[in-house]
Amino acid sequence: MNIAEVKNLTKYYGKLKALDEITLNIPQGRIIGLLGKNGAGKSTFMRCLLGFLKHQGEITILGETIKSHKESIHEHIAFIPDVSSLDDRLTVRQTMDYVASLNQSWNAGKAQKLLAGSDLPLNQKVATLSKGMKTKLYLLITLSLDVKILLLDEPTLGLDIVFRKEFFNTILGEFYDESRTIIISTHQVEEVEQILQDIIFIDKGKMILYENVEELKKKYSIFTVPSDKIEELEKHKPKLITKTLGHVSAILDSEIKIENAEESKPSLSDLFMEKVGGSNE
Amino acid sequence: MNKLKAIMIKDWHINKKSLFVPFWITAGFYAFILLSVAFAYFKGDMNFNMIDLDTGPPVAEINYIVNMAILSLPGLMSLLFIIMLTQGALNEDIRKNCELFHRSQPVSIWFRTGSKYLMGIAGNWAVMLIIALFNFLVVNIILAIFHQFDFYSAVNGMVLSSISFMKTGLIIGSITFFFSAIFKDKAFFQGFAILLGIQFLFMIVNAMLNWHLPLPLTYLFKLVKLNPMEGLESNMAPTGIRSHIASAWGVILFNWKTLIQIVFSGALFAGATWIYKNKEIK
Repeated sequence: MNIAEVKNLTKYYGKLKALDEITLNIPQGRIIGLLGKNGAGKSTFMRCLLGFLKHQGEITILGETIKSHKESIHEHIAFIPDVSSLDDRLTVRQTMDYVASLNQSWNAGKAQKLLAGSDLPLNQKVATLSKGMKTKLYLLITLSLDVKILLLDEPTLGLDIVFRKEFFNTILGEFYDESRTIIISTHQVEEVEQILQDIIFIDKGKMILYENVEELKKKYSIFTVPSDKIEELEKHKPKLITKTLGHVSAILDSEIKIENAEESKPSLSDLFMEKVGGSNE
Repeated sequence: MNKLKAIMIKDWHINKKSLFVPFWITAGFYAFILLSVAFAYFKGDMNFNMIDLDTGPPVAEINYIVNMAILSLPGLMSLLFIIMLTQGALNEDIRKNCELFHRSQPVSIWFRTGSKYLMGIAGNWAVMLIIALFNFLVVNIILAIFHQFDFYSAVNGMVLSSISFMKTGLIIGSITFFFSAIFKDKAFFQGFAILLGIQFLFMIVNAMLNWHLPLPLTYLFKLVKLNPMEGLESNMAPTGIRSHIASAWGVILFNWKTLIQIVFSGALFAGATWIYKNKEIK
């Protein structure tokens, strides 16, 4: 069952085409990564999904057509754009009370449990919290909502590695089950690689790839040969050849056999480099 | 309605500091008067200009005018703070980078804008009325000590003056609220500058081409105009204060202008909400 269907989604900012005819179906119960360089169109895609941006094409979420922003869809979708988007003028307690009062899907028991396990200062203004604490608060209020879809748009931007790890571990532990869908937009794929089931590569507003992560990894291998045997790689016309100390590597179809080449499995960032390329131009 | 309540509580938390400022200004004003009196007392310099009660104006007139005048400071403060609060109503969340957080909550946009509108306008009305009530008590206790208190005139003076300021606040606040949906920063001044520009443009066109284009600021000033003491001098002497008060209710509240002001404010609120709803959230 699809929880979202997107057909020919196109978005212009003035003359700039930020999204270019994106068509995809998002099934229920998946953890999907949206990977792209800065400015590739990841945030625009998420904001279009929620109706925050005017767009061309069709978007249907949970059976509801999204032409413009509809408050009602937030009964089923939680969205974390960036932890700095919390309201600095409220205290932690006021923020929690506010979200709890507005959301019928608020699970008070879970909120209490998460709060008990955190060291959030309830009477302190959000403005005075560290970025790590803001992350905890955002996680607490989001994970206390019994929603079907969680959209995360570069949620860990500016956080140190400890908080980044904790963030994704908490989401996986406290939110995910097979009835819920998570879409994570990031350009730091290494952090989420282990939890993603599907991956979307997006570049210059176009969807380059949308595939199951395991199957994608099976399709390709990294072949490493000594530098003087570079022609062995070149004859398979790889998009990118990486040089290391005395060796060269390339990502090629895993069906290919190269004699005396070292073969290893590529990471998502390797595959992203292969599919999209490394330059911003 | 629970959601509206939740939004209003949130807006109260955000705006309460600004709403309390007129109380502190009033407290400072009273403290200044008390200090001045105490200073004069200890210096032995307590020469008051006493009203000659036998030849002065009738008690009812004094009560009416004095109780209108006690609204001057809270009334003007309420207008100022209405502008301050409403000019940030629909753009402050964007400037504070929390628009996405608030817009990601499942609550009607009309509740969101309605709460901000109420907080900016009715919130300041409430503050003005509390200060006015305090001023009313202080001034009328003093008048009563001098046997110069007339309840009917005093209450009517205060209430009519309050209504006059509330109506002006409603129009100014609604206009500024509307501008806050269009401009991201300093909405009042930007909106006013544009209206001023249109006014001058129309005046030039009218003068050059002998046209009669309507001048926006002229109409707005008519709507905004404060009139608590309108007709006071001409009416009072021949007909007496009671008759003036009866007609003042018609001049200040029960007239077509009030209806136009309410409809105009409602239209501005609806227009602002429509613009805000249709803005892209980036």
